[in-house]
Amino acid sequence: MAREDYVPVTGDDWYQRRRDDAEGRFFRKVADQGPRKGAGGSTRQGIYCFTASGKLLAYKNAGQAPEVMRDVLKQALRQWQKLPASERQPGAVQVGEPGKADQRYARTPPPGGLVLNVFTRILDRDEKEGFRKGACQAAWGDMAARDHLWLTEAEWKALIPADPKKGGERPVPAAVVERIARFHLVDNTRGEPPLWRRDQVRSKKMTLTVEAVTPKEVRLRLDGSALLATKADPKEADRGYDVRLLGYVTYDPAARKVTRFDVVAVGDHWGEGTFTRGARPGRAPLGVAFELSAGKSAADTVPPQGAREWAEYMGRNR
Amino acid sequence: MMTKATCLTFGVLPLLAWGLAAAELVPPQQFDKLHALIKPHQDEEAWASIPWRSSLWEARKEAAAKGKPILLWEMDGHPLGCV
Repeated sequence: MAREDYVPVTGDDWYQRRRDDAEGRFFRKVADQGPRKGAGGSTRQGIYCFTASGKLLAYKNAGQAPEVMRDVLKQALRQWQKLPASERQPGAVQVGEPGKADQRYARTPPPGGLVLNVFTRILDRDEKEGFRKGACQAAWGDMAARDHLWLTEAEWKALIPADPKKGGERPVPAAVVERIARFHLVDNTRGEPPLWRRDQVRSKKMTLTVEAVTPKEVRLRLDGSALLATKADPKEADRGYDVRLLGYVTYDPAARKVTRFDVVAVGDHWGEGTFTRGARPGRAPLGVAFELSAGKSAADTVPPQGAREWAEYMGRNR
Repeated sequence: MMTKATCLTFGVLPLLAWGLAAAELVPPQQFDKLHALIKPHQDEEAWASIPWRSSLWEARKEAAAKGKPILLWEMDGHPLGCV
């Protein structure tokens, strides 16, 4: 039904309820017809069905059972069918260009940069396999969470040695280490996570070692570690992540592009944030996996969660 | 879209091989397996079979042109890219 009868679209309410441009105003006009009117700047999140002209047909908060959502979509279609043809016929509603976007809330991948998919999952230790999928009581908390890591062209190029020699080792640039540590070594498996403040990064180190050099590729291994904790003494910290990283980066010198960027981070995490209640008790393993984004779907252009605070994310306020 | 996790298993199993403790090295021979374990599994990808657009304005134009209503999944934390 979502695929055939609707034009399905997603949005991050943090941006949509703030942006002062045509798209933001249109969204709020629709949302104001429902129960969530954003009083005091509060969330307007949910599932909305509406017309291209902005008439709300149905609303339901997200997180419902599939059969509930199916009923909502059917109800909205019935409302749609009751509308006059002048609202429903193809081309009946004219939608022009939106005009200039509110640049405070416009996020686009850096030109020439790298976009990495970032996945996070709780793990359990396993006698035979080392680790297995984690289990928890929080709804959906055992599933992989998603985010993206953005690197500028200058940042990813700085990872590749100009004159690579097997065995050569170099540190990952500080800005990249900080971005990974503060914004991507987080527990987002139960909701929007608290990101690490700069002073909560108790230690961090990442290096790249040249493993192989051929005319076709330069292969690098990434080794790293980070200790993230809300207090200087991790034993006293109510939230933390003590993690090691291993990864492989491959560069094609002829094509001048990175062809592989796979990294795994694993360690024990503990604690929870305002929107990530229901963490497992004590310290338990959390894994983070990075990979190159295919760049083929709408999802691939979604900005990193940490990019809401753009200057912080890009390290421009250090 | 998702199945509920209802189990409770936090007993620390005997620690073997590379699953030892916090801040232990990730053994290179286990890298691919662990990378795949952390990434979304097939049963977690049902929502992705819907061709979600990411621009509300573009969706609005498409809906007008096709004569269809719009289905908007709006969350704090982008549904396609966060949490």
